[in-house]
Amino acid sequence: MKRMLTPILFFTFITAAELEVGSSMPGMDFKLKDISGKTMTLADAKGSQGTLVIFSCNTCPWVIRWEDRYVSIADTYTSKGIGVIAVNSNAARFDGDDSLEEMIKHAEKNNYNFPYVQDPRSQLASEFGATKTPHIYLFDNNDVLVYRGAIDDNARDARSVEEPFLANAIDQLLSGRSIEKPTSKAIGCSIKFP
Amino acid sequence: MKKLLMLICVIAISCEKVELLPTTSLDINQKIKSYKGNKVVLLNVWSLWCVPCVEEFPMIVDLAQEIEELEVIFISADFEDQFNEVRSFLDRNGVKEVSYIKQEKDEAFITGIHPNWTGSLPFTILYAKESGKIVDLWEGKESELRFRTAINIALRS
Repeated sequence: MKRMLTPILFFTFITAAELEVGSSMPGMDFKLKDISGKTMTLADAKGSQGTLVIFSCNTCPWVIRWEDRYVSIADTYTSKGIGVIAVNSNAARFDGDDSLEEMIKHAEKNNYNFPYVQDPRSQLASEFGATKTPHIYLFDNNDVLVYRGAIDDNARDARSVEEPFLANAIDQLLSGRSIEKPTSKAIGCSIKFP
Repeated sequence: MKKLLMLICVIAISCEKVELLPTTSLDINQKIKSYKGNKVVLLNVWSLWCVPCVEEFPMIVDLAQEIEELEVIFISADFEDQFNEVRSFLDRNGVKEVSYIKQEKDEAFITGIHPNWTGSLPFTILYAKESGKIVDLWEGKESELRFRTAINIALRS
């Protein structure tokens, strides 16, 4: 029995696999509810040079510490052809802290300058293998994933960042260079799947 | 006399405080190895802000108290300015053993603990008693049954 159990357990650790760099953007036609009241898809959020998908939410302390950089990144790169969208996949909390009403308030309070949408039944998060907030996915203009992971290496303080992973990746994408660091990791809040 | 009593009270209260040490993945991995052949190790990375972490926390403390051959290592992923809040939480939940708070950049810490971990909390790993190998690991809150099943396998492995 021990011999049978051991190998099974050794290889079934984590079921949700993050989307691999080089993969095509999944769920592009999924219907998502935006805080503007409209329904949109990832395809609608695409930029001419690439697309940034941020899995986020209203209450996670890591989101709260990092989200000033959502805004500055959108500010810097939207005009350069990068589409930006934040996706709230906390479906288990859509009747509470992550309701559309709370998302509207949160976006206003934090000066969001990009669409902020609900992902019904967390389907998009499942397709992306997104597990936490914030969880960042950057696609090129052919909808191929070129960077996945964190915004930078310092949630607490934008001024103390040593490695701006995402900004570097976007700069490299825009200048046609290969992405030096295509993945990174950071602590985040688990996505609350239904 | 009154002052002396107050002093005794302060000392008594401070003695009850759990020891909370800043740590890195390297330190933790060495500590885990030190239990090989002696105890099952349950590593749990948690945070005050993480509701599922806080929900499953007392159950893990109970398991640690119940199972003699189980060593639970809690690592708080909270920010350093929450040191006192973390310690108070540990005290309130009856943690007596030394506990840890992450003092390493996220990426190095996450990768150092386990390369498959995406960084989502809570995160739990079970190490076998004899071999010291990982028998199970998962992200997110889990049932007591999942914990007990993994611990039982780890006790026999």
